[in-house]
Amino acid sequence: MSQTQQTPLTYARITEDVVRMVDKPSKKWWALFIPTVMLVGLGVTCFFYQVAEGLGVAGYRHPVFWGVYITDFVFWVGIAHSGTLISAILYLFRARFRMSIYRIAEAMTVFAVLTAGLFPIIHLGRPWNFLWLIPYPNSRELWINFKSPLVWDVFAVSTYLTVSSVFFLVGMIPDIAAIRDKVKETPRKIIYSILSFGWKGSNREWLHYTRAYLYFAALATPLVLSVHSVVSWDFAMGNVPGWHTTIFPPYFVAGAIFSGLAMVITLTIPIRKIFHLEDYITLDNYDGMAKLIILTSCIVGYAYAAEFFMAWYSGSPYEWGQFVYRATGEYAFFYWVMVICNCFVPIVLWWEKVRKNIKALFVISILINIGMWFERFNIIVISLSRDFEPGAWGIYKISFVEAGITIGSFAWFFMFFLLFVKTLPAVSIAEMKEILPVPKKGG
Amino acid sequence: MSRKEKKGKEGMKRRDFLKVLGVVGGTAAVAGSCSEPVEQIIPYVIPPENVIPGVPKFYATTCRECSSGCGLVVKTREGRAIKVEGNPKNPINMGKTCAVGQASLQGLYNPDRVRSPLVYNPENQRFEAIGWQRGEEILTEKLNSLGSGKIVYLSNDVSGTYSKFVAEFLKPLRGKHYVYETFSHEPIRKANSIVFGRDEIPSYRIDKADYLLSFGADYLETWLSTVSNSIGYSKLRDIDHGKTGQIVHIEPRSGMTASNADTWIAAKPGTEQYLALGIANVMISKGLNKVAPGPIAKMVSGYAPEKVAALTDVSADTIEKIARDFTASKSLAIGGGTANTGSNATETMVAVNILNYLAGNIGKTVDFSDPLSISDANTFGDIKGLVEEIRSGKVEILIVHNVNPVFTLPGELKVAEALEKVPFVVSLSPFLDETSEKAHLVLPESTSFESWGDYSPKKSITGITQPVMRPVFNTKSAGDTLISVSKNVEALKNTFAGKKYYDYLRSAWKKRAAVISPGMGFEKFWENLVTEGSVTTTPAPVEVVLSSGIGSVSFSDPQFRGEGSFHLIAYPSYRFLDGRGANKPWLQELPEALTTSVWDSWLEINPAVAAKMGLEDGSYVKVDIPGGSFEVQVFVYEGIRSDTIAVPLGQGHTSYGRYAKGRGVNPFALLPAATDALSGGLSLLSTKANVSSLRKRDLLVRTQYTKSQGDRHVAKTIALAELGHNGAHHGSEHSKHPDFYPEKEYSKYRWGMAIDLNKCTGCGACVAACSAENNIPFVGKKQIAKRREMNWIRIERFFEKNSDGSLDVRFLPMLCQQCGNAPCEPVCPVFATYHNHEGLNGMIYNRCVGTRYCANNCTYKVRRFNWYTYKFPEPLNWQLNPDVTVRSKGVMEKCTFCVQRINHGKDLAKDEGRLLRDREVLTACEQACPSDAIVFGNLIDDKTRASVLSEDERGYKVLEVVNTKPAITYLKKVKQERV
Repeated sequence: MSQTQQTPLTYARITEDVVRMVDKPSKKWWALFIPTVMLVGLGVTCFFYQVAEGLGVAGYRHPVFWGVYITDFVFWVGIAHSGTLISAILYLFRARFRMSIYRIAEAMTVFAVLTAGLFPIIHLGRPWNFLWLIPYPNSRELWINFKSPLVWDVFAVSTYLTVSSVFFLVGMIPDIAAIRDKVKETPRKIIYSILSFGWKGSNREWLHYTRAYLYFAALATPLVLSVHSVVSWDFAMGNVPGWHTTIFPPYFVAGAIFSGLAMVITLTIPIRKIFHLEDYITLDNYDGMAKLIILTSCIVGYAYAAEFFMAWYSGSPYEWGQFVYRATGEYAFFYWVMVICNCFVPIVLWWEKVRKNIKALFVISILINIGMWFERFNIIVISLSRDFEPGAWGIYKISFVEAGITIGSFAWFFMFFLLFVKTLPAVSIAEMKEILPVPKKGG
Repeated sequence: MSRKEKKGKEGMKRRDFLKVLGVVGGTAAVAGSCSEPVEQIIPYVIPPENVIPGVPKFYATTCRECSSGCGLVVKTREGRAIKVEGNPKNPINMGKTCAVGQASLQGLYNPDRVRSPLVYNPENQRFEAIGWQRGEEILTEKLNSLGSGKIVYLSNDVSGTYSKFVAEFLKPLRGKHYVYETFSHEPIRKANSIVFGRDEIPSYRIDKADYLLSFGADYLETWLSTVSNSIGYSKLRDIDHGKTGQIVHIEPRSGMTASNADTWIAAKPGTEQYLALGIANVMISKGLNKVAPGPIAKMVSGYAPEKVAALTDVSADTIEKIARDFTASKSLAIGGGTANTGSNATETMVAVNILNYLAGNIGKTVDFSDPLSISDANTFGDIKGLVEEIRSGKVEILIVHNVNPVFTLPGELKVAEALEKVPFVVSLSPFLDETSEKAHLVLPESTSFESWGDYSPKKSITGITQPVMRPVFNTKSAGDTLISVSKNVEALKNTFAGKKYYDYLRSAWKKRAAVISPGMGFEKFWENLVTEGSVTTTPAPVEVVLSSGIGSVSFSDPQFRGEGSFHLIAYPSYRFLDGRGANKPWLQELPEALTTSVWDSWLEINPAVAAKMGLEDGSYVKVDIPGGSFEVQVFVYEGIRSDTIAVPLGQGHTSYGRYAKGRGVNPFALLPAATDALSGGLSLLSTKANVSSLRKRDLLVRTQYTKSQGDRHVAKTIALAELGHNGAHHGSEHSKHPDFYPEKEYSKYRWGMAIDLNKCTGCGACVAACSAENNIPFVGKKQIAKRREMNWIRIERFFEKNSDGSLDVRFLPMLCQQCGNAPCEPVCPVFATYHNHEGLNGMIYNRCVGTRYCANNCTYKVRRFNWYTYKFPEPLNWQLNPDVTVRSKGVMEKCTFCVQRINHGKDLAKDEGRLLRDREVLTACEQACPSDAIVFGNLIDDKTRASVLSEDERGYKVLEVVNTKPAITYLKKVKQERV
């Protein structure tokens, strides 16, 4: 491998490198995968314990009826966003730095939505009745309430899952075909054959394929904006001070992209290191992402300030009371964690040196992930802790079961991710070849 | 703790692990079918006569939870009592009840009741269940072999036929009947005897007074007849043409009663008598008195206001103002409560009597013609004498009936130890309390809901108690037991003619019937009695004159034991009384009005002192008094003097069932057997205490942690002077804002409510009534520590400041507002909550999936979520109302204005082809509310009481700014000029 690293990138090497990634899993991979599955098991056990006992085992209490689960839901939906942003929007804008990372980002999107989609069910009082949230014809003529943002959520998330999965699978067709041609074991060959839809790489196929990909990108683009807007309406449509504000949709979308980019960085840095993809995922790519992080960080920071200003300007004691409470009340620590991680930490990215320093980026991206998780936690929990009625104010405390399920959700996400890097082309062979300079004649 | 134990305690138990494992596998296999096992409905094979399934039957009876003797109507369904209501025909409570009365069914269905006769086996030191025959045989043997020792019957106040019955039972045995009530108000009796020559407690008519001056009497909590007092309070609070009554309360701490007064005066503990004398002094010196003072003039001459001011911490101006106001209107001065049980309690009551006498209140608001039966109780001095007799071995047989002296008598008397000296103790109590545990034989009595009897709380009224259902357990009424035993006792063989106490009761009433209504014929009279529940007579008025002995009273300073820096007030709890209520989960879980604390004891301490000692809410302190010390958590409270600390009574049981045992502290156990010098009454304000911080803190479990409402203005007040002046202003709070959406239209009914904050006392009767009516589970202290109480109605309490800096306590009953524009409705994804055509926010429990968005979006936070499936241990579940769904885990629930009652009422109205009349349907909270603060009705009809009140100038909607258009209108509390 050390040999390959020195040779410059060639068409052949790109294919070889990617196919090597889907080789037999190493001991290191198993060492990561087995604990991950065990943590998923922890989450599943916690969930069924909760089903058996009741939601009392979670930390919920009057008046905080939503807590960590909805925080996790919004967090994972947010993570999902930058995947589509990188693969679809940046594709349409022809941003070159996306080429090496978009596959990983897309996978992240699908798995994050898969994770996020679990939480609305986990958080239900009677999860076995979750089907009632879906409009299906039934003999009792029971119907759903289209006024409820929770119903919009069901549609938003399921649409997003469908579109991002299709986009993900379609995008991989030529690469899977390349792997299919290289692998020798029969079972794998069959699976890759099916997933490559008989791709032969003819001109005709390429013509249709690139068109289709463009349309899918165009179709997925509005979802980047709409899905998280709908998620933000879960709150903005409520009348809780701290929720009921028109700034939420853009604020949530920016926050989602912000956290999603951070997650892409968090994920790609170890992959780049482990699979020696330094030639593919270059420092320039990170530079591009870091710049986007600066932009979204500014939007998020602006939103925090605007929320505060509007709360003061409104003259409503409920709104203003809520925001003063966020910054100075029992949860002030979480609030300031959020502000520091999301507004102050990204300031260092203004320096190019930092943007191109892998270790620094890794640390910053994790801090941003933490900050963004707390942003959702703060919006949900602090607002509910103190709304209109002073007699009902109360403090929420996370329980062991909630922590277990949250950890389980991270494990669930990484489990898919580990399976992904070992089975599917984590770097786009076709698009990497596109940006390679054409070899000189006879060279 | 060994490792093994630790594992069992903290980790997951093997059993739990298996459960989880089973659920994991099981649920995966049958995802979507997590349902409870199917329950079979078994029809009657031979239907009992007169029982129509689904149709309730009502029985009139009398409440025996305290000595007030309120009339009750018990609702039964299919042979089980499911709800008690006040009997509207009873003149004491006029259809109202208190929280204790509401919870009485949890005494009937208490899972810790003694289920059959028990005999104590000294060998294994356990009680063994025996049959009734054997149990009665044992008692018979003992009675037959009664030697030279005494037989003593110790019971609670059983005035009426039963006390005569006991007398007859004891006479041939040369026994003695002691009536022991923990709070028997001896100083009031003694003072009446000194001042008026009448050794009794008169009826104090708060309802007839316009100016109430209370010297520590907690008349809304435990003082004499609280429901009756609350009704009087409500009358006094009526506003008529800008005028209303006024209440001044004098006590070192502001309890629930003081908090509802217009002025709370924190006089120095034990100096109330000087204050009263000072007021009397002003009356006489200013010529305000309406009756010639006679010898009183000389008695009070030494108490000029300035001198009294120095003694009591109350300014001379205040004293003069009270004297003027007191004589200017129909007034009443009352005294009592813990604060007035000091060594000089009788002297204080003498001074209070002087005030009433000088203001001419005797015969008007103080009615000696109708004295209370509690006047006949033995004094604490008598009981103390009894304990001495017991200790000296003179008592051979002790029959204990419905009293718990081991718990309620001061620890100094060492009652438990004394009882060891009695060769044979038999308990007739339905519970294994601290005293019954010391018995050799327990012959469990049926509760008053299961047996015949009567009770006469005051001279003019006798209420009947009748069995409303068959005994829940293998129990017998005490009367039946004694009659059955008497047949085999040599000395008693011919004492009782009948076989049952019922026969005795009827024959006793036969004699009375002939006197009360001679023409009627007994059967008719009896039928009337058991359907009406009580019989009332008009007592002849009595002439009350000043006794000549009054001049002999000299007023002394209060004496305190110990050298501490605080006065310790141990006050009776309005929830547990002397501790007897502590085994009822509804009462344990009823948040105490001021602290909102549940399932526990606490120590009230002034903020200034707390700050100095570094104490906060929930800090643990050690309280040292001469009798010992106890550890308790602190509640920092502005409503207590800085030289005083207070702790409630009633908790700290070492037995008495799972709900009472091991909660809080029992101050009785440490108090000295100090008495008031003149009356011999127990002195609860007798010691000085030292408080030391234990430097640890934990959550003091409450249902509300916010003390002030801050800038939210949910509990509003209005100055009395402003009333009537904002006529043009009228409806400013209701001003119609333009709305984007069309108004909702209702055709026949729009259910609404008016809650008068000027009348609400925060007593919590509504909360208990709601729990009983709507199958609301109790969840225990651990869950409430997580704010998971389930009550649909809560009393919010806010400590505000008056303009002069004094404490202003406000209560706000908060329940579902049935908003016209409900935030909960649009957010429910499955229509589990919806707006019905009568304006109610309906809840379909079966449809609820538990997203809890409705609760988040509820402006008033009145929705409750079932975090678990809460269980009612058998037979507490017998009380469940079959008309209301019992909820299981994962669903939201809330108040629906007792929709089952509305539907029941509409059914009846439909049969008669009409609409519901006003006040035909009462919600459970409204029906219980002793101060009549809650009025429910149809808002479409502008003549209903609810509509009229909703349009009152004091009306406002809580958080109207959110535009939820609530159906509940609150009427602002009226603030009067403070004294």
